[in-house]
Amino acid sequence: MAPFKTIRWIVWKDVVIELRSRETLASMAFFALIVLLIFSFSFSMDQRAAHEVIAGIIWVAFAFTGMIGLGKSFSAELPHDCLDALRMAPVSRGAIYLGKVAANVAFLFAVEILLFPMLVILFNLDVVEDLSLLLVTFFLATVGLAAVGTLFAALTVQIRAREVMLPILLLPMVVPVMIAAVEATKGALNGDPPSLYGPWLELLAIFDVVLTIASFWLFDVVMDA
Amino acid sequence: MTIHRVIRGVQRYQGWVGGGAALCLLAGLYLGLLGSPPDYVQGEVVRIMYIHVPLAHTALLGYTVLAGGSVWYLWKRDPVVDNMCHAVAAISACFTALATATGMIWGKPTWDAWWTWDARLTSFAVLLLILLGYLMLRTMIDDPDKEARYAAVLAILGFVDLPIVHFSVEWWRTLHQPQSISLRGVSIASGMLAPLVLMSLGMSLLFSYMLMIRTQLLYLHRLLDAKKGRLLSRFHAPNADS
Repeated sequence: MAPFKTIRWIVWKDVVIELRSRETLASMAFFALIVLLIFSFSFSMDQRAAHEVIAGIIWVAFAFTGMIGLGKSFSAELPHDCLDALRMAPVSRGAIYLGKVAANVAFLFAVEILLFPMLVILFNLDVVEDLSLLLVTFFLATVGLAAVGTLFAALTVQIRAREVMLPILLLPMVVPVMIAAVEATKGALNGDPPSLYGPWLELLAIFDVVLTIASFWLFDVVMDA
Repeated sequence: MTIHRVIRGVQRYQGWVGGGAALCLLAGLYLGLLGSPPDYVQGEVVRIMYIHVPLAHTALLGYTVLAGGSVWYLWKRDPVVDNMCHAVAAISACFTALATATGMIWGKPTWDAWWTWDARLTSFAVLLLILLGYLMLRTMIDDPDKEARYAAVLAILGFVDLPIVHFSVEWWRTLHQPQSISLRGVSIASGMLAPLVLMSLGMSLLFSYMLMIRTQLLYLHRLLDAKKGRLLSRFHAPNADS
Protein backbone atom coordinates (compact mmCIF):
# COMPACT_ATOMS: atom_id res chain seq x y z
CA MET A 1 0.00 0.00 0.00
CA ALA A 2 1.83 3.04 -1.27
CA PRO A 3 0.17 5.73 0.91
CA PHE A 4 0.88 3.82 4.10
CA LYS A 5 4.48 3.41 3.07
CA THR A 6 4.72 7.17 2.51
CA ILE A 7 3.17 7.88 5.89
CA ARG A 8 5.62 5.50 7.53
CA TRP A 9 8.59 7.09 5.80
CA ILE A 10 7.56 10.61 6.77
CA VAL A 11 7.12 9.60 10.39
CA TRP A 12 10.41 7.70 10.32
CA LYS A 13 12.22 10.71 8.82
CA ASP A 14 10.86 13.13 11.42
CA VAL A 15 11.52 10.78 14.31
CA VAL A 16 15.09 10.09 13.20
CA ILE A 17 15.82 13.80 12.77
CA GLU A 18 14.37 14.44 16.19
CA LEU A 19 16.32 11.62 17.83
CA ARG A 20 19.54 12.96 16.33
CA SER A 21 19.05 16.59 17.30
CA ARG A 22 16.58 16.33 20.20
CA GLU A 23 15.81 19.98 19.47
CA THR A 24 12.02 19.99 19.36
CA LEU A 25 11.29 17.59 22.20
CA ALA A 26 13.75 19.26 24.53
CA SER A 27 12.51 22.78 23.81
CA MET A 28 8.87 21.71 24.07
CA ALA A 29 9.33 19.90 27.35
CA PHE A 30 11.34 22.74 28.82
CA PHE A 31 8.83 25.36 27.69
CA ALA A 32 5.87 23.39 29.05
CA LEU A 33 7.67 22.98 32.35
CA ILE A 34 8.22 26.72 32.60
CA VAL A 35 4.55 27.42 31.83
CA LEU A 36 3.47 24.97 34.51
CA LEU A 37 5.89 26.47 37.02
CA ILE A 38 4.61 29.97 36.33
CA PHE A 39 1.05 28.79 36.80
CA SER A 40 1.91 26.96 39.99
CA PHE A 41 3.30 30.05 41.64
CA SER A 42 0.84 32.52 40.18
CA PHE A 43 -2.02 30.68 41.90
CA SER A 44 -1.26 29.49 45.38
CA MET A 45 -3.90 26.83 45.75
CA ASP A 46 -5.12 24.16 48.04
CA GLN A 47 -6.23 20.79 46.70
CA ARG A 48 -9.81 21.77 46.11
CA ALA A 49 -9.02 24.96 44.24
CA ALA A 50 -6.41 23.06 42.26
CA HIS A 51 -9.03 20.62 41.04
CA GLU A 52 -11.10 23.45 39.63
CA VAL A 53 -8.36 25.04 37.54
CA ILE A 54 -5.84 22.29 36.90
CA ALA A 55 -7.54 20.97 33.75
CA GLY A 56 -7.46 24.46 32.26
CA ILE A 57 -3.81 24.93 33.21
CA ILE A 58 -2.88 21.61 31.66
CA TRP A 59 -4.44 22.50 28.34
CA VAL A 60 -3.08 26.04 28.21
CA ALA A 61 0.37 24.59 28.75
CA PHE A 62 -0.12 21.82 26.19
CA ALA A 63 -1.63 24.13 23.57
CA PHE A 64 1.21 26.65 23.83
CA THR A 65 3.75 23.85 23.79
CA GLY A 66 2.04 22.42 20.75
CA MET A 67 2.62 25.70 18.89
CA ILE A 68 6.37 25.17 19.24
CA GLY A 69 6.28 21.58 18.05
CA LEU A 70 3.89 22.23 15.18
CA GLY A 71 5.80 25.26 13.97
CA LYS A 72 9.03 23.28 14.06
CA SER A 73 7.61 20.39 12.08
CA PHE A 74 7.55 22.52 8.94
CA SER A 75 10.16 25.17 9.63
CA ALA A 76 12.61 22.27 9.89
CA GLU A 77 11.87 21.60 6.21
CA LEU A 78 13.01 25.06 5.12
CA PRO A 79 16.81 24.71 5.11
CA HIS A 80 18.16 23.10 1.92
CA ASP A 81 14.72 23.54 0.31
CA CYS A 82 13.45 20.32 1.83
CA LEU A 83 9.90 21.67 1.60
CA ASP A 84 10.23 21.95 -2.18
CA ALA A 85 11.63 18.44 -2.29
CA LEU A 86 8.65 17.22 -0.29
CA ARG A 87 6.36 19.06 -2.68
CA MET A 88 8.00 17.53 -5.74
CA ALA A 89 8.08 14.01 -4.34
CA PRO A 90 5.89 11.71 -6.47
CA VAL A 91 3.66 10.71 -3.58
CA SER A 92 0.18 11.80 -2.62
CA ARG A 93 -0.04 15.03 -0.64
CA GLY A 94 -2.61 13.44 1.62
CA ALA A 95 -0.08 10.82 2.68
CA ILE A 96 2.45 13.56 3.46
CA TYR A 97 -0.18 15.32 5.55
CA LEU A 98 -1.12 12.20 7.48
CA GLY A 99 2.54 11.37 8.05
CA LYS A 100 3.21 14.82 9.42
CA VAL A 101 0.11 14.64 11.65
CA ALA A 102 1.23 11.26 12.96
CA ALA A 103 4.72 12.55 13.73
CA ASN A 104 3.33 15.66 15.43
CA VAL A 105 0.91 13.62 17.52
CA ALA A 106 3.79 11.37 18.56
CA PHE A 107 5.94 14.31 19.69
CA LEU A 108 3.16 16.17 21.48
CA PHE A 109 1.91 13.05 23.17
CA ALA A 110 5.42 12.15 24.28
CA VAL A 111 5.84 15.57 25.89
CA GLU A 112 2.45 15.28 27.59
CA ILE A 113 3.34 11.89 29.05
CA LEU A 114 6.69 13.26 30.15
CA LEU A 115 5.09 16.22 31.92
CA PHE A 116 2.26 14.42 33.62
CA PRO A 117 4.33 13.27 36.63
CA MET A 118 5.54 16.86 37.00
CA LEU A 119 1.93 18.04 37.11
CA VAL A 120 1.03 15.53 39.78
CA ILE A 121 3.95 16.74 41.90
CA LEU A 122 3.61 20.49 41.34
CA PHE A 123 -0.12 20.63 42.01
CA ASN A 124 -0.27 17.90 44.64
CA LEU A 125 -2.76 15.88 42.67
CA ASP A 126 -4.09 12.63 43.96
CA VAL A 127 -2.89 9.94 41.65
CA VAL A 128 -5.80 9.23 39.41
CA GLU A 129 -7.41 5.83 39.50
CA ASP A 130 -8.68 5.90 35.96
CA LEU A 131 -5.48 6.75 34.17
CA SER A 132 -6.47 5.07 30.91
CA LEU A 133 -9.35 7.47 30.22
CA LEU A 134 -7.12 10.44 30.97
CA LEU A 135 -4.61 9.14 28.46
CA VAL A 136 -7.38 8.68 25.90
CA THR A 137 -8.41 12.30 26.50
CA PHE A 138 -4.84 13.52 26.02
CA PHE A 139 -4.50 11.47 22.87
CA LEU A 140 -7.78 12.54 21.26
CA ALA A 141 -7.24 16.22 22.02
CA THR A 142 -3.68 16.00 20.71
CA VAL A 143 -4.96 14.51 17.46
CA GLY A 144 -7.43 17.40 17.10
CA LEU A 145 -4.74 19.98 17.80
CA ALA A 146 -2.28 18.32 15.42
CA ALA A 147 -4.84 17.82 12.62
CA VAL A 148 -5.54 21.54 12.24
CA GLY A 149 -2.07 22.52 13.47
CA THR A 150 -0.26 20.58 10.77
CA LEU A 151 -2.31 22.27 8.05
CA PHE A 152 -1.66 25.74 9.48
CA ALA A 153 2.01 24.99 10.11
CA ALA A 154 2.39 24.08 6.44
CA LEU A 155 0.57 27.28 5.53
CA THR A 156 2.31 29.72 7.85
CA VAL A 157 5.79 28.38 7.13
CA GLN A 158 5.46 29.83 3.62
CA ILE A 159 4.52 33.36 4.67
CA ARG A 160 5.99 36.27 6.60
CA ALA A 161 5.87 36.46 10.40
CA ARG A 162 5.21 32.74 10.61
CA GLU A 163 5.90 32.35 14.32
CA VAL A 164 3.21 34.89 15.12
CA MET A 165 0.68 33.79 12.55
CA LEU A 166 0.54 30.12 13.56
CA PRO A 167 -1.00 30.71 17.02
CA ILE A 168 -3.17 33.57 15.74
CA LEU A 169 -4.77 31.35 13.11
CA LEU A 170 -4.70 28.06 14.99
CA LEU A 171 -5.94 28.90 18.48
CA PRO A 172 -9.41 30.20 17.52
CA MET A 173 -9.96 27.10 15.38
CA VAL A 174 -9.20 24.68 18.19
CA VAL A 175 -11.53 26.32 20.73
CA PRO A 176 -13.99 23.40 20.60
CA VAL A 177 -11.21 20.84 20.99
CA MET A 178 -9.90 22.75 23.99
CA ILE A 179 -13.34 22.99 25.63
CA ALA A 180 -13.95 19.27 25.23
CA ALA A 181 -10.41 18.41 26.37
CA VAL A 182 -10.65 20.57 29.50
CA GLU A 183 -14.04 19.15 30.46
CA ALA A 184 -12.95 15.54 29.96
CA THR A 185 -9.67 16.12 31.82
CA LYS A 186 -11.52 17.73 34.69
CA GLY A 187 -13.83 14.74 34.92
CA ALA A 188 -11.00 12.24 34.83
CA LEU A 189 -8.93 14.10 37.44
CA ASN A 190 -11.88 14.45 39.80
CA GLY A 191 -12.52 10.74 39.56
CA ASP A 192 -16.05 11.26 38.25
CA PRO A 193 -17.81 8.21 36.85
CA PRO A 194 -16.86 7.88 33.15
CA SER A 195 -20.50 8.06 32.10
CA LEU A 196 -20.48 11.70 33.22
CA TYR A 197 -17.64 12.92 31.04
CA GLY A 198 -17.59 10.10 28.48
CA PRO A 199 -19.72 12.15 26.04
CA TRP A 200 -16.89 14.70 25.85
CA LEU A 201 -14.57 11.96 24.63
CA GLU A 202 -17.06 10.98 21.94
CA LEU A 203 -17.34 14.63 20.99
CA LEU A 204 -13.54 14.92 20.80
CA ALA A 205 -13.42 11.90 18.51
CA ILE A 206 -16.05 13.47 16.25
CA PHE A 207 -14.14 16.78 16.13
CA ASP A 208 -10.96 14.87 15.27
CA VAL A 209 -12.62 13.13 12.35
CA VAL A 210 -14.25 16.28 10.96
CA LEU A 211 -11.17 18.48 11.34
CA THR A 212 -8.85 15.83 9.93
CA ILE A 213 -10.99 15.29 6.85
CA ALA A 214 -11.29 19.03 6.18
CA SER A 215 -7.56 19.64 6.71
CA PHE A 216 -6.68 16.59 4.61
CA TRP A 217 -8.47 18.06 1.59
CA LEU A 218 -7.16 21.59 2.12
CA PHE A 219 -3.54 20.47 2.58
CA ASP A 220 -3.31 19.85 -1.15
CA VAL A 221 -4.08 23.53 -1.83
CA VAL A 222 -1.53 24.69 0.74
CA MET A 223 1.26 22.61 -0.74
CA ASP A 224 0.74 23.78 -4.34
CA ALA A 225 3.70 25.86 -5.40
CA MET B 1 -7.61 46.55 -21.08
CA THR B 2 -11.11 45.21 -20.54
CA ILE B 3 -12.98 45.49 -17.31
CA HIS B 4 -14.33 42.16 -16.01
CA ARG B 5 -18.01 41.73 -16.92
CA VAL B 6 -18.95 41.11 -13.29
CA ILE B 7 -17.45 44.47 -12.37
CA ARG B 8 -19.34 46.07 -15.26
CA GLY B 9 -22.58 44.63 -13.87
CA VAL B 10 -21.71 45.86 -10.40
CA GLN B 11 -21.09 49.34 -11.71
CA ARG B 12 -24.47 49.37 -13.41
CA TYR B 13 -26.57 48.19 -10.47
CA GLN B 14 -24.77 49.43 -7.37
CA GLY B 15 -26.79 52.67 -7.22
CA TRP B 16 -30.08 50.75 -6.99
CA VAL B 17 -28.75 48.54 -4.21
CA GLY B 18 -27.43 51.51 -2.26
CA GLY B 19 -30.67 53.43 -2.70
CA GLY B 20 -32.71 50.41 -1.62
CA ALA B 21 -30.53 50.05 1.47
CA ALA B 22 -31.04 53.70 2.39
CA LEU B 23 -34.82 53.47 1.96
CA CYS B 24 -35.18 50.24 3.95
CA LEU B 25 -32.91 51.45 6.75
CA LEU B 26 -34.67 54.82 7.04
CA ALA B 27 -38.12 53.23 7.08
CA GLY B 28 -36.93 50.51 9.48
CA LEU B 29 -35.35 53.02 11.83
CA TYR B 30 -38.48 55.18 11.85
CA LEU B 31 -40.72 52.19 12.61
CA GLY B 32 -38.26 50.71 15.07
CA LEU B 33 -37.49 53.83 17.08
CA LEU B 34 -40.81 55.69 16.87
CA GLY B 35 -43.52 53.58 15.27
CA SER B 36 -43.31 50.37 17.30
CA PRO B 37 -44.46 49.74 20.89
CA PRO B 38 -41.91 49.29 23.71
CA ASP B 39 -41.46 45.74 24.98
CA TYR B 40 -43.57 45.05 28.06
CA VAL B 41 -40.67 43.36 29.87
CA GLN B 42 -37.65 45.23 28.55
CA GLY B 43 -39.24 48.61 27.89
CA GLU B 44 -37.46 50.95 25.51
CA VAL B 45 -34.26 48.94 25.77
CA VAL B 46 -35.64 46.46 23.27
CA ARG B 47 -35.19 48.94 20.45
CA ILE B 48 -31.53 48.04 20.14
CA MET B 49 -32.79 44.73 18.77
CA TYR B 50 -33.62 46.46 15.48
CA ILE B 51 -29.93 47.17 15.03
CA HIS B 52 -28.40 44.16 16.73
CA VAL B 53 -30.32 41.28 15.18
CA PRO B 54 -30.00 42.50 11.56
CA LEU B 55 -26.27 43.12 12.10
CA ALA B 56 -25.80 39.60 13.45
CA HIS B 57 -27.80 37.99 10.63
CA THR B 58 -25.89 39.93 8.04
CA ALA B 59 -22.53 39.03 9.58
CA LEU B 60 -23.41 35.33 9.38
CA LEU B 61 -24.71 35.75 5.86
CA GLY B 62 -21.41 37.46 5.03
CA TYR B 63 -19.37 34.57 6.36
CA THR B 64 -21.45 32.13 4.32
CA VAL B 65 -20.76 34.21 1.23
CA LEU B 66 -17.06 34.22 2.13
CA ALA B 67 -16.94 30.43 2.46
CA GLY B 68 -18.89 29.93 -0.74
CA GLY B 69 -16.68 32.40 -2.58
CA SER B 70 -13.58 30.66 -1.27
CA VAL B 71 -14.73 27.29 -2.59
CA TRP B 72 -15.60 28.95 -5.86
CA TYR B 73 -12.16 30.56 -6.05
CA LEU B 74 -10.34 27.27 -5.43
CA TRP B 75 -12.46 25.71 -8.14
CA LYS B 76 -12.31 28.39 -10.87
CA ARG B 77 -9.29 30.47 -9.78
CA ASP B 78 -10.91 33.68 -10.95
CA PRO B 79 -9.10 36.69 -9.37
CA VAL B 80 -12.34 38.70 -9.24
CA VAL B 81 -13.79 36.09 -6.89
CA ASP B 82 -10.74 36.51 -4.71
CA ASN B 83 -11.28 40.29 -4.65
CA MET B 84 -14.87 39.62 -3.62
CA CYS B 85 -13.72 37.30 -0.80
CA HIS B 86 -11.25 39.87 0.47
CA ALA B 87 -13.92 42.55 0.46
CA VAL B 88 -16.51 40.33 2.12
CA ALA B 89 -14.11 39.41 4.93
CA ALA B 90 -13.38 43.02 5.81
CA ILE B 91 -17.04 44.02 5.80
CA SER B 92 -18.10 40.89 7.70
CA ALA B 93 -15.48 41.67 10.33
CA CYS B 94 -17.03 45.14 10.80
CA PHE B 95 -20.55 43.71 11.02
CA THR B 96 -19.42 40.99 13.44
CA ALA B 97 -17.66 43.51 15.67
CA LEU B 98 -20.73 45.79 15.64
CA ALA B 99 -23.07 42.88 16.33
CA THR B 100 -20.93 41.83 19.30
CA ALA B 101 -20.74 45.39 20.60
CA THR B 102 -24.49 46.04 20.31
CA GLY B 103 -25.10 42.63 21.88
CA MET B 104 -23.02 43.60 24.88
CA ILE B 105 -24.79 46.95 25.20
CA TRP B 106 -28.10 45.12 25.08
CA GLY B 107 -26.88 42.46 27.50
CA LYS B 108 -25.92 44.88 30.26
CA PRO B 109 -29.45 46.15 31.07
CA THR B 110 -31.28 42.89 30.31
CA TRP B 111 -28.92 40.18 31.61
CA ASP B 112 -26.97 42.49 33.94
CA ALA B 113 -23.72 41.33 32.35
CA TRP B 114 -21.70 42.51 29.39
CA TRP B 115 -20.63 39.01 28.62
CA THR B 116 -21.80 35.48 29.30
CA TRP B 117 -20.48 32.24 27.87
CA ASP B 118 -23.48 31.76 25.69
CA ALA B 119 -23.09 29.68 22.55
CA ARG B 120 -23.94 32.55 20.22
CA LEU B 121 -21.68 35.04 21.95
CA THR B 122 -18.79 32.62 21.90
CA SER B 123 -19.26 31.66 18.27
CA PHE B 124 -19.40 35.34 17.34
CA ALA B 125 -16.21 36.01 19.27
CA VAL B 126 -14.50 33.12 17.49
CA LEU B 127 -15.93 34.29 14.18
CA LEU B 128 -14.44 37.73 14.76
CA LEU B 129 -11.06 36.21 15.64
CA ILE B 130 -11.10 34.06 12.53
CA LEU B 131 -12.00 37.03 10.32
CA LEU B 132 -9.29 39.21 11.85
CA GLY B 133 -6.79 36.37 11.42
CA TYR B 134 -7.94 36.07 7.81
CA LEU B 135 -7.37 39.76 7.13
CA MET B 136 -4.00 39.63 8.88
CA LEU B 137 -2.97 36.55 6.90
CA ARG B 138 -3.64 38.43 3.69
CA THR B 139 -1.17 41.16 4.60
CA MET B 140 1.58 38.60 5.23
CA ILE B 141 1.83 37.17 1.72
CA ASP B 142 3.36 38.95 -1.25
CA ASP B 143 2.34 36.64 -4.08
CA PRO B 144 -1.32 37.45 -4.90
CA ASP B 145 -2.13 33.94 -6.11
CA LYS B 146 -0.73 32.36 -2.95
CA GLU B 147 -2.53 34.96 -0.84
CA ALA B 148 -5.83 34.04 -2.45
CA ARG B 149 -5.32 30.31 -2.00
CA TYR B 150 -4.22 30.46 1.62
CA ALA B 151 -7.00 32.86 2.55
CA ALA B 152 -9.51 30.50 0.93
CA VAL B 153 -8.13 27.58 2.93
CA LEU B 154 -8.54 29.52 6.16
CA ALA B 155 -12.07 30.64 5.31
CA ILE B 156 -13.23 27.13 4.41
CA LEU B 157 -11.74 25.56 7.54
CA GLY B 158 -13.35 28.32 9.60
CA PHE B 159 -16.71 27.55 8.02
CA VAL B 160 -16.34 23.90 9.06
CA ASP B 161 -15.20 24.98 12.51
CA LEU B 162 -17.89 27.52 13.43
CA PRO B 163 -20.83 25.10 13.83
CA ILE B 164 -18.52 22.92 15.95
CA VAL B 165 -17.71 25.90 18.17
CA HIS B 166 -21.38 26.74 18.53
CA PHE B 167 -22.32 23.17 19.30
CA SER B 168 -19.51 22.57 21.79
CA VAL B 169 -20.25 25.72 23.78
CA GLU B 170 -23.96 24.96 23.83
CA TRP B 171 -23.19 21.50 25.10
CA TRP B 172 -20.66 22.77 27.61
CA ARG B 173 -23.23 25.10 29.13
CA THR B 174 -26.12 22.67 29.11
CA LEU B 175 -24.00 20.08 30.90
CA HIS B 176 -23.19 22.60 33.60
CA GLN B 177 -26.43 24.46 34.04
CA PRO B 178 -29.47 25.21 31.98
CA GLN B 179 -29.05 28.47 30.16
CA SER B 180 -30.84 30.89 32.46
CA ILE B 181 -31.50 33.63 29.95
CA SER B 182 -32.32 32.79 26.41
CA LEU B 183 -33.48 34.97 23.61
CA ARG B 184 -35.34 32.06 22.15
CA GLY B 185 -38.28 32.51 24.50
CA VAL B 186 -39.08 35.96 23.22
CA SER B 187 -41.74 35.74 20.58
CA ILE B 188 -42.16 38.73 18.41
CA ALA B 189 -45.27 40.90 18.32
CA SER B 190 -46.48 41.89 14.91
CA GLY B 191 -45.72 45.56 15.55
CA MET B 192 -42.10 44.65 16.08
CA LEU B 193 -41.84 42.28 13.14
CA ALA B 194 -42.20 44.88 10.39
CA PRO B 195 -39.28 47.10 11.50
CA LEU B 196 -37.15 44.01 12.15
CA VAL B 197 -37.75 42.63 8.67
CA LEU B 198 -37.16 46.06 7.11
CA MET B 199 -33.93 46.54 9.03
CA SER B 200 -32.72 43.03 8.13
CA LEU B 201 -33.41 43.67 4.49
CA GLY B 202 -31.77 47.09 4.73
CA MET B 203 -28.65 45.73 6.42
CA SER B 204 -28.30 42.99 3.80
CA LEU B 205 -28.65 45.58 1.05
CA LEU B 206 -26.17 47.85 2.80
CA PHE B 207 -23.80 44.90 3.08
CA SER B 208 -24.22 44.16 -0.63
CA TYR B 209 -23.67 47.79 -1.51
CA MET B 210 -20.48 48.01 0.54
CA LEU B 211 -19.38 44.71 -0.97
CA MET B 212 -19.92 46.01 -4.50
CA ILE B 213 -17.93 49.17 -3.84
CA ARG B 214 -15.09 47.38 -2.11
CA THR B 215 -14.81 44.53 -4.60
CA GLN B 216 -14.60 47.12 -7.35
CA LEU B 217 -11.91 49.02 -5.45
CA LEU B 218 -9.79 45.92 -4.90
CA TYR B 219 -10.25 44.86 -8.50
CA LEU B 220 -9.17 48.25 -9.84
CA HIS B 221 -6.25 48.21 -7.45
CA ARG B 222 -5.10 44.93 -8.91
CA LEU B 223 -5.44 46.25 -12.45
CA LEU B 224 -3.43 49.29 -11.49
CA ASP B 225 -0.70 47.16 -9.94
CA ALA B 226 -0.54 45.02 -13.06
CA LYS B 227 -0.31 48.10 -15.24
CA LYS B 228 2.39 49.61 -13.05
CA GLY B 229 4.33 46.35 -13.22
CA ARG B 230 4.16 46.33 -17.02
CA LEU B 231 5.26 49.95 -17.27
CA LEU B 232 8.13 49.48 -14.85
CA SER B 233 9.33 46.34 -16.55
CA ARG B 234 9.33 48.17 -19.88
CA PHE B 235 11.66 50.82 -18.50
CA HIS B 236 13.85 48.54 -16.44
CA ALA B 237 14.04 45.51 -18.66
CA PRO B 238 17.18 46.53 -20.61
CA ASN B 239 19.10 47.16 -17.39
CA ALA B 240 17.87 44.02 -15.73
CA ASP B 241 18.97 41.85 -18.62
CA SER B 242 22.50 43.16 -18.80
